[in-house]
Amino acid sequence: MSRGSGGGYDRHITIFSPEGRLFQVEYAFKAVKASGITSIGVRGKDSVCVVTQKKVPDKLLDQTSVTHLFPITKYLGLLATGMTADARTLVQQARNEAAEFRFKYGYEMPVDVLAKWIADKSQVYTQHAYMRPLGVVSMVLGIDDEYGPRLYKCDPAGHFFGHKATSAGLKEQEAINFLEKKMKNDPAFTYEETVQTAISALQSVLQEDFKANEIEVGVVRQENPVFRVLSTEEIDEHLTAISERD
Amino acid sequence: MGDSQYSFSLTTFSPSGKLVQIEHALTAVGSGQTSLGIKAANGVVIATEKKLPSILVDESSVQKIQSLTPNIGVVYSGMGPDFRVLVRKSRKQAEQYHRLYKEPIPVTQLVREIAAVMQEFTQSGGVRPFGVSLLVAGFDDNGAQLYQVDPSGSYFSWKASAMGKNVSNAKTFLEKRYTDDMELDDAVHTAILTLKEGFEGQISSKNIEIGIISTDKQFRVLTPAEIDDYLAEVE
Repeated sequence: MSRGSGGGYDRHITIFSPEGRLFQVEYAFKAVKASGITSIGVRGKDSVCVVTQKKVPDKLLDQTSVTHLFPITKYLGLLATGMTADARTLVQQARNEAAEFRFKYGYEMPVDVLAKWIADKSQVYTQHAYMRPLGVVSMVLGIDDEYGPRLYKCDPAGHFFGHKATSAGLKEQEAINFLEKKMKNDPAFTYEETVQTAISALQSVLQEDFKANEIEVGVVRQENPVFRVLSTEEIDEHLTAISERD
Repeated sequence: MGDSQYSFSLTTFSPSGKLVQIEHALTAVGSGQTSLGIKAANGVVIATEKKLPSILVDESSVQKIQSLTPNIGVVYSGMGPDFRVLVRKSRKQAEQYHRLYKEPIPVTQLVREIAAVMQEFTQSGGVRPFGVSLLVAGFDDNGAQLYQVDPSGSYFSWKASAMGKNVSNAKTFLEKRYTDDMELDDAVHTAILTLKEGFEGQISSKNIEIGIISTDKQFRVLTPAEIDDYLAEVE
């Protein structure tokens, strides 16, 4: 008699299943989808834009407190898709880490270093039984001194890649298909094109036209490398431009 | 380490005497992308498939082959995040050796230390084994060396080896093609041909990675342009 399924624990903690899979990590991915939100990130020639849905489930909620877009430093932004509580602890730790980095090394934490740090932390949760993986996919954006605009996506498995465009959440696959078509020939989007591609991708995939207060948009631009969340007025301008274009 | 609630090993013996978690880890390795290594007379080459999940991924942000010291490089098959952990630990151990003995760490010593870490995670409390097998390529005073380290922590020196999805075809191919007096250039060609054997789709400098080290004792990853040259020669 061999313990074929690891005594049944392979679904409860991150140990291997007989097929060599980590079920807890796979379930963490499902938790990201279960949040019901889709997010999109697009990297242009000199800017990066991330967009996510803003679903306020209760009219009595203070809208301004519902957010998935977090500044980590003045120059780095993080869009967290998935479980909000997990996202908040991750953001808290990332902010601390970035501040320590600045203090220790005397220069701002680069985008890929932050992405790697998040991914390495996620890897620890996939290997140690006492902590479950976080149900969050993080998109990190910023302007790198050497490489220019950068967009990274980190997932519960501990993977991280740089992306020209990507998506996370409920309609992730549909969005990626849409973006692959748009980015096929390596277009070099201007700032306006970047933002409009991101927003129109979200609209197309969810098959609805948004109002400015139903989405959150975050950008970094090479000319002003500060991470900014767009105001509803600015979002409205882009939405109008998109509808006029179509 | 960690919570005392998990101060028991998760990798335990089955009644038949097997460590099932390690077997499952090897299965995870076996479903990873193919990688291989070949020891030539004057150097070592390691190579891997670099299949990315989407064309939207910036392939320049991904480097699967890493150097551990200036004269030792490593490639893996299996779980990328686990590989990063091992690379970090190995680099630190190599540095600590250097600080203590004022000489670069010999390949065998570094392999032994990596293997010890991997074995630890098959016995310590509250952790699972690493889901990677490594191919470590180096050149030191004992010449060119190639080692494979498995999730169990066991390691062997190889003349040529392969891991991952296409391991059996690749190894058969290598057995036929390998000669003891191969030059490094020939070894690179053989490596490319071996990868081509099981490759789904069109092989190009964007979806494979190659690392080499020769008598100059400098491990380096080939640029896409250099890979293109080799690919052209192979055609």
